[in-house]
Amino acid sequence: MNIKDREKVMENVATHEDWKVCFRSLAPGLLLFARQWARSRADAEDIVQEAFVKFWRRNHNIDNRALLYATVRSIALDRIRRDSRRTRREAEAVCESEHVVEPQFELTDETQFALAAAVERLPHEQREVLIMKIWNELTFAEIACALGVSQNTAASRYRYALAALKKIFQPQ
Amino acid sequence: MNDFSEIEKELKKLRPTRTSRQLFVRVEQMLAGPEISEHKIIRPNRFRVNWVAIGFGLAAAAVLILLAQISTDRTSKQRERIAQNSPAPETMPALRGAQRSSSEFIPAGATQVVYNTRDEGLQFPGGSAQPLRRLRYQTHQTWQWRNPATGASLRVSYPGEEIVLIPISGQ
Repeated sequence: MNIKDREKVMENVATHEDWKVCFRSLAPGLLLFARQWARSRADAEDIVQEAFVKFWRRNHNIDNRALLYATVRSIALDRIRRDSRRTRREAEAVCESEHVVEPQFELTDETQFALAAAVERLPHEQREVLIMKIWNELTFAEIACALGVSQNTAASRYRYALAALKKIFQPQ
Repeated sequence: MNDFSEIEKELKKLRPTRTSRQLFVRVEQMLAGPEISEHKIIRPNRFRVNWVAIGFGLAAAAVLILLAQISTDRTSKQRERIAQNSPAPETMPALRGAQRSSSEFIPAGATQVVYNTRDEGLQFPGGSAQPLRRLRYQTHQTWQWRNPATGASLRVSYPGEEIVLIPISGQ
């Protein structure tokens, strides 16, 4: 879905308050965003489900996208804290190793596989900004709002991520 | 940012995995159903109890009550002071006698309340060498009569003013 299609969807959502249209459009990006903190795809889906339901019950439209991503992030971090009480070592191992067995992208060739692997190796702060910007099409203002950082910080992290990927993916 | 346009283009070609149909159904069920647990609701700000505002309100109310109490105390003290300045209730013997002879009404009481005293300074009346201090009392007098047979009562109130000259002797 390109940007114009997405904007059309957003207009439709804003007008008709149809959560289905909105969710179909945002769910893949939200899932990718949630996967950063989840041990499995199923856990990420649980996070997205809880966050979206909370968000939609409160807002009934998608005007404030930053709040939606902030809700996903907050729920994911809450889950990590909750899990850490029970199985602290396991949770830490998952968060720190960042090994995700299940694919996060629909990969068609080796180039894409290498690029996806490079994205997964990015530092967490850079990767979350990259995911929000590239696959969720948030503005830097929205990213800054969702993460609680300045717009300059968000933009810097994005540039660092692209620079790192460029270095890995297109070595000169 | 132009340096990164190529890598951005490659990244956008990556498509996140699709969500499962089950996730959609679960969200639909949750949105259709009632909110189950209270602690999971994100409450809009307008429904949240603003404890700070309530605290300030209570503090303001307490201050107002204290001020009202102090004001009441002062008023009652002033009243006591005025009552002390005024002469004790007295009856008018002459009037009592007249009333007894002509009608059934008998004097029941008289009060004189001095509500203002003003010192008008020294004066030398009629070329006198001895100064006099002129004091002006403003009063409110009330006279009461009562008819014991019928229980009827009559009360007359009027303002009064009294000027007192007090000789001052230089010592």
